Amino acid sequence: MSRITIPIGPQHPALKEPLSFLLTVEGERIVESALRIGYVHRGLERLFQDRSYVQNVHIAERVCGICSHIHTTAYCQGVEALLGLEVPRRALYVRTLLCELERIHSHLLWLGVLAEHIGFTTVFMYAWRDREIVLDIMEDLSGGRVAHAVNAIGGVRIDIENDHIPAIHARLDELERQMEMFLGVIQHERTFQARTRGVGCLTQEQVQRYCVVGPVARASGVAMDIRRDQPYAVYDELSFRVITADEGDVWARTMVRALEIVESMGMCRQLLDKLPEGPLASRAPRRVPAGLVISRCEAPRGELLYVIRSDGSDRPARVKIRTPTLPTLATLKDQLRGVHTADVPTILAGVDLCIACADR
Amino acid sequence: MRDVASAVLTILVFPGFGFLFVCALAFHWIDRRVTARFQGRVGPPWFQPFADFVKLLAKEDVLPVGAHERACALLPMVSLAAVLTAALHIPVGGYVVTSFEGDLIVVLFLLSLPALAYFLAGWLSASVFSVVGGSRALLQYFAYEVPFLMALAGPAILVGSWSVSRISGAQSGGLWTLLVQPIGFVLAFIGLIGKLKRSPFDIPKAKSEIGAGPLTEFSGRKLALWHLSLQVKTVVGIFLLVDVFLGGSGGGISLSGVTLFGVKCLLVLLALSVTGVLYARLRIDQLATMGWRVLAPLALVQLLVVVLVGG
Repeated sequence: MSRITIPIGPQHPALKEPLSFLLTVEGERIVESALRIGYVHRGLERLFQDRSYVQNVHIAERVCGICSHIHTTAYCQGVEALLGLEVPRRALYVRTLLCELERIHSHLLWLGVLAEHIGFTTVFMYAWRDREIVLDIMEDLSGGRVAHAVNAIGGVRIDIENDHIPAIHARLDELERQMEMFLGVIQHERTFQARTRGVGCLTQEQVQRYCVVGPVARASGVAMDIRRDQPYAVYDELSFRVITADEGDVWARTMVRALEIVESMGMCRQLLDKLPEGPLASRAPRRVPAGLVISRCEAPRGELLYVIRSDGSDRPARVKIRTPTLPTLATLKDQLRGVHTADVPTILAGVDLCIACADR
Repeated sequence: MRDVASAVLTILVFPGFGFLFVCALAFHWIDRRVTARFQGRVGPPWFQPFADFVKLLAKEDVLPVGAHERACALLPMVSLAAVLTAALHIPVGGYVVTSFEGDLIVVLFLLSLPALAYFLAGWLSASVFSVVGGSRALLQYFAYEVPFLMALAGPAILVGSWSVSRISGAQSGGLWTLLVQPIGFVLAFIGLIGKLKRSPFDIPKAKSEIGAGPLTEFSGRKLALWHLSLQVKTVVGIFLLVDVFLGGSGGGISLSGVTLFGVKCLLVLLALSVTGVLYARLRIDQLATMGWRVLAPLALVQLLVVVLVGG
């Protein structure tokens, strides 16, 4: 059978962000795939070195449009460690709340994208409609739907008013009802299963060899989660489960993410109930003592790592970001080998790539 | 002279081009609106399909280098002409233009021509997406067509006539074919979804995989005609199902008959919309498996029942 080459990207309906694939296809089977990245490289890491520590918070926020808050969290947390700064507990609670809301928003967005790629428009519409619930909460809290500008070095810039809390609970109730519906679809809808089960399988060994992190790793049975393994902010005060699955396919990833949304909602409720009184930020000096710090966070897509080196001035000497998408990109060649062309969008969606993060 | 005038009127206005055009746009709008309501959206205003059609007519018409210009211009017309001709033999509210013994076969043949044109359009328009889409369209055709044909043969055998009007008329006194051959109706319905390339069988034009499939490279007037031919095909397919399985207009031409026919058509359309909302798109190999392992044997069983019990 003759081979043809199908280009996927940099602009393609299956991709939300620029990324390029050249798929060599025999009939409907993929025999080879070549990946090219770097279309949204903005030189942000270099930019960090030209701005002061305070200004850099805004750059970190703009690394990614979906998980903006977790980037500033990782960055601020690193700088705070260099400064040896004690962050007020109320600030940490607000920070963590936003992290979890962002995770819900990111996972729901992802569910919609996956549904659209397997031609399940209804779930796509519902997921993005219900994502508005979380976006509304975040907008009410911070004024921004996706870029919240909540974090600052030494604390946070917004407060949660006490009469606001019941309204957030009520919205979470609504989302909880919707999540039951989504879980029902994922577990029982036959066409959904037909399109996601057995697609894009990664074994536990492959996950460990490629150092895959986050929901993709957990869906292959690797129970890793920075929130539990190396708690930051106030995660050590919260009770939650680390969701895992054994199948390692797109269906397992869907299940893991859906259940993580449920866990995150529980964490949001705990945070709101336990919210301590106190100041929102402690004052941070402009100059940061020389040193090197590694700051780790659990972003919606997995472990996010910031390495910050300071030379004692008011600007970082180097900021290195390691995003969870990077190891996942390396697995795509394995995942795409021998699959049906119709499964390519499913696989690409299934790993939840964030190209803006990966390219920076 | 009067004969000529009446023939022109029949072909251009009712139940010819004009009527089908209006029906196509109206059905398309209802479908989009219903789908939108189910998905928590508002949906387009009533004139949207017409506006889209006019907009496409006015747009620039380009084809990539290497595409077969003449064939690409001809294929949408062939597709549209085939479905419009098929409509002449299908009673609408009891009124049929021409009817003869065996017109069911002609209708089925004419309704499968667009699938061939669609495949050729993909093959000849010089794009990877359209070639993949075209080959998928052909594979899909083989999966749904056989069960669809067998499902429609059932009523014909039962009535003892291969004329759509006779089959429709035969139900006026007695039971609807749907009640006698429920499996046949379900198979014909599924086949129709495949024929119309609607969700969950919109495999040849799966937009997240291969853009718009065979129509990726089409634009302007050609694309407008393609869309129109698919929309008219939806209308004709629904008419056919209502006539063969749901008792048509209930015999004769009357206001109540026409209303009844309209209501039945809308119900079938509603069922098509709901099916489209409920499922994820299947893969082509899954559809082929379903077509040959489930639908075709079921159709065979239904035919055997009709021949052994009914005949």
